[in-house]
Amino acid sequence: MIDWGLVAKTAGGGFGSTLLVLVILSIVIWLIGFVMRRRVRKPKDES
Amino acid sequence: MFGLYEMAFGGLTWGNILMLLIGGGLIYLGVAKKMEPFLLVPIGIGVILVNIPSAGLMVYAPAEPGVIPLPASGGLKEIAEGKIGLLNLLYHYGLGSEVIPLLIFLGIGALSDFSPAISRPLSFVFGATAQLGVFIVFLIAYLTGWFTINEAVCVGIIGGSDGPPTVYLTVAKAPQLLGPITLVAYSYMALVPVLQPPVIRLLTTKKERQIYMKPQTREVPSLERIIFPIAVIVVAGLFVPACLPLVGMLMFGNLLSVTGVTDRLGTSAGGVFVDVLTFLLGLTVGSLMPAMVFLNTKTLMIIGLAVVAFAFGTAGGIWAVQIANLFLKEKINPLIGAAGVSAVPMAARVAQIEGQKANPRNFLLMHAMGPNMAGAIATSVVAGIFMSMV
Repeated sequence: MIDWGLVAKTAGGGFGSTLLVLVILSIVIWLIGFVMRRRVRKPKDES
Repeated sequence: MFGLYEMAFGGLTWGNILMLLIGGGLIYLGVAKKMEPFLLVPIGIGVILVNIPSAGLMVYAPAEPGVIPLPASGGLKEIAEGKIGLLNLLYHYGLGSEVIPLLIFLGIGALSDFSPAISRPLSFVFGATAQLGVFIVFLIAYLTGWFTINEAVCVGIIGGSDGPPTVYLTVAKAPQLLGPITLVAYSYMALVPVLQPPVIRLLTTKKERQIYMKPQTREVPSLERIIFPIAVIVVAGLFVPACLPLVGMLMFGNLLSVTGVTDRLGTSAGGVFVDVLTFLLGLTVGSLMPAMVFLNTKTLMIIGLAVVAFAFGTAGGIWAVQIANLFLKEKINPLIGAAGVSAVPMAARVAQIEGQKANPRNFLLMHAMGPNMAGAIATSVVAGIFMSMV
């Protein structure tokens, strides 16, 4: 017998969780890049 | 022979003969057609070795086809007594323990350059949406009643087009399907240049495929490349701890190659180390395909469902770019979304080739490598989610 709750949790929840984790990861990576670019730009501006 | 000893002919079945031909075919594809030769050649020879009866390299429990006897006393005694074979040992200590797929991922991490993904973080979203095929095929496999839920997740993960997560999940959840699933996964990865273009052309207009993207991506400073693997480990590990064996190994390997002070370790991990593990994986997977285990309707279904998984994975990546383009001022070529199905670097090459066909000025390879590499992380996250959910 098909366990519909488990199906919904695994397919819907699984895909949603994957998307969420990767979106968070992309934000974190963007933030790191943003900070790095500012850090590199600053000394140039000062000179 | 002359009553002195037993030859293999008596035990040879039509199934064994078919598998010997399949083994030969895999070696042919690897050698002549250069399709994933590092894997298809060892898998092919493993198939041949295990389908010659009475050879004893891989012994199956006679009462339960598909069940591989465990080495009870470390293995050497059982090998000497003929109760198990060398490949039983390789299976239990290499694959059954998950050691080989995880260490291969370490080597892959050392060989990988994540700069294209770091320079365009949106790549991670495309990598995630390209996992759509995994979940669609999971649903089909389970709801049709052909597979148990544990088997269905393993069939689905083929759509991630990434070997180690597929092997890792299948060993844990449905080891009885490890042979066909691994074979289909690696074969189809080699067939990405054939499988993806029709889906791409179906879902994109020529105008979309012509979208021009500047050839160069942002140069990523070394400090950012060092922080990246650590950030991925922390974020992925906190949200999906079960994916950390895969993500952790991948990122550890990558860290070794980007620190600038562990070059030797990185080179070793991505060199002979990963080569040895790769052929051990291939040989062991091949030995999981004796006729009695491999030749059944489930194998045929896996072959069919994997095509659906690849198609929806490609579609998921393309659709995500098309949605993103609704909001972006500088449009992205949807072909790079198709590269979100890992299959590194084949899927990125497909994006490059199709992009140049539509617009000869386009050079999409580096852009496509972003979602391509992000797809490897996404598939590992999916494997971790399945590990903890099912």
